[in-house]
Amino acid sequence: MLQLAGKRLGAMVVIILALTAVMFGLQKISPLDPVHAMLGQSASAQAVAAERHVLGLDQPITAQYLHYLAGLLHGDLGTSYRTRNPLSSDLGTAFPATAELTLYGLIFALILAVLLAVATTLRWPGSWLFRLILFVGASMPPFLLAIGGILLFFVNLGWLPATGRTSIHNPPTGPTGLLTIDGLLAGQFNVVTDALSHLLLPALALAIGPAVSIGRVLRSSLVSELRSDYARTARAKGQRERQVLIRHVIRNAIGPALSMTGLQAGLMFGGVLVIEQVFSWPGMGQYMTQSIPVADFPAIAAVTLVLGIGYVLINTVVDLLQAAADPRIDV
Amino acid sequence: MAVAEPQLAAPLAARRRSARLLPANAARWANWSIAGLLGVVTLVALLAPVLAPHDPLQPVGQPQLAPGQGGFLLGTDGIGRDVLSRVLYGLQASWFAALLVIVGGVIIGGIIGVVAGTFGGIVDNVLMRITDGFLALPAPVLAIAIVAALGPGFVHTLLAVSIVWWPFYARIVRGEVRALAARPHVEAARLAGAGTFRVALRHLAPGAVPATVVTASLDVGNLVLTLAALSFLGLGQPAPTPELGADAARNLSYLLQQWWIPTMPGLAVLVLAMVGNLAGDAIRNLMEDR
Repeated sequence: MLQLAGKRLGAMVVIILALTAVMFGLQKISPLDPVHAMLGQSASAQAVAAERHVLGLDQPITAQYLHYLAGLLHGDLGTSYRTRNPLSSDLGTAFPATAELTLYGLIFALILAVLLAVATTLRWPGSWLFRLILFVGASMPPFLLAIGGILLFFVNLGWLPATGRTSIHNPPTGPTGLLTIDGLLAGQFNVVTDALSHLLLPALALAIGPAVSIGRVLRSSLVSELRSDYARTARAKGQRERQVLIRHVIRNAIGPALSMTGLQAGLMFGGVLVIEQVFSWPGMGQYMTQSIPVADFPAIAAVTLVLGIGYVLINTVVDLLQAAADPRIDV
Repeated sequence: MAVAEPQLAAPLAARRRSARLLPANAARWANWSIAGLLGVVTLVALLAPVLAPHDPLQPVGQPQLAPGQGGFLLGTDGIGRDVLSRVLYGLQASWFAALLVIVGGVIIGGIIGVVAGTFGGIVDNVLMRITDGFLALPAPVLAIAIVAALGPGFVHTLLAVSIVWWPFYARIVRGEVRALAARPHVEAARLAGAGTFRVALRHLAPGAVPATVVTASLDVGNLVLTLAALSFLGLGQPAPTPELGADAARNLSYLLQQWWIPTMPGLAVLVLAMVGNLAGDAIRNLMEDR
């Protein structure tokens, strides 16, 4: 287990290094010139040369990369062309919003996936609804789900808000940046309920797609494990189908679903960019969407880097969890 | 055991019966007709300029007409353009973009997979580590960064998505080729004096075709969704060009009063993805039957 953890962490570092190299390379092949982006198109040749020196662009490319890497290690993600702020401070304010949305999306996705899989495997009454979700959910564009959710729950029913993170004017700002947790810590329960009501629609819209993919995998491994000899033995002991499932089968069936969860996290990071735009969610997705039309590549690269590192981290944790759930795994 | 048997047998028997609800021939026929939906959608996409009742770029009626009003089946948008015509043209772009990316991914991934599988050893090792590296990164997010670096546009989007999409195919093709390389008929071909190139092309690559076709057809739906998301984020073609994702995003401000303007393009994406997923399942069933 310890050896496996070491291997996985090593691989993680290599992949993150590769990601930084890709981002650096993209910046280099991009036709957008960082000097003119900072100074404007009509800058004098002298000013351009001076700025090139300041940005370190007159150094050899390996030195530039090492400089970039050293900056990253110090938390320096570069400077946005659009806001002229250090990206670390811009993203610092946007990150908690995205983190909270993705976290709740992931929790909803997991709960829904287990519900979908168990309900359709055990053929609960009403499982046709879950079958329908499994069928349609796989083809549903997240933005359409978001639009539909707003039309139903905001326009028609008026139950849930449609935009933003909170409608409270001065919510607590620390220590985690996650409104639901900060509200709890500050003892302001109205903040928690308000934040939850704002989270519900976007997190669900984000969750359905991954939930369907994870649910399908879980369902097929549940079905095959339920036919196994040990499940038959458990039934022979007189256990009911639900007990067999909860006590014996789930643990063996969870592996493939876990690795699917890791993969789906990558899709969720793509989905969160779209969902944030629909719900005017003040996170990294909205920041990136505003950066795209003005070709603010450092901002886009920084968001990609943060999301990419998050994805690699999640997958490493998933691998280790899988090994913990099933000791036979040893890669 | 005697207690357990009936309990276990009951759901299995039920499942078998439901699977054989249709006679084998009818099931095949059903699968073929669902797979045929791919052809139907391709035809609709090809004929979009003929089927569209109006010019998608010019205002042709009162703005913000509801679906059905004034003879506009899906209504008109904020400046009076026909939503149906825009959706049809957008559908054409989305569908062919998805097919092109699949072809691109299959070609790049196929070549890398065949090379890795044929040569084995260090070549295999290096190529597969690169492939793993790509697979370890979040594909949609990486594609966004690539398009952003190249500058938004249709060709750049296709290029970016192909770049993040080939690793899946490389893995599958390489796996099939590795398995085939150990089989007697390949050894026989080598002993008969066939060169590496000939063995790879005539005896190894064809064996990877069925698995690749199944994966590719199951991928159409995913690609339609990914490309729509990129277009939604503003990484597709510039403004007046009809595009499903972009049309939904640009018209979000109409959502509360004129819901159909952003919703119709989204529904078109749903239909395309659903056809892709259904046909993918049908093609997999047909391939497994053989």
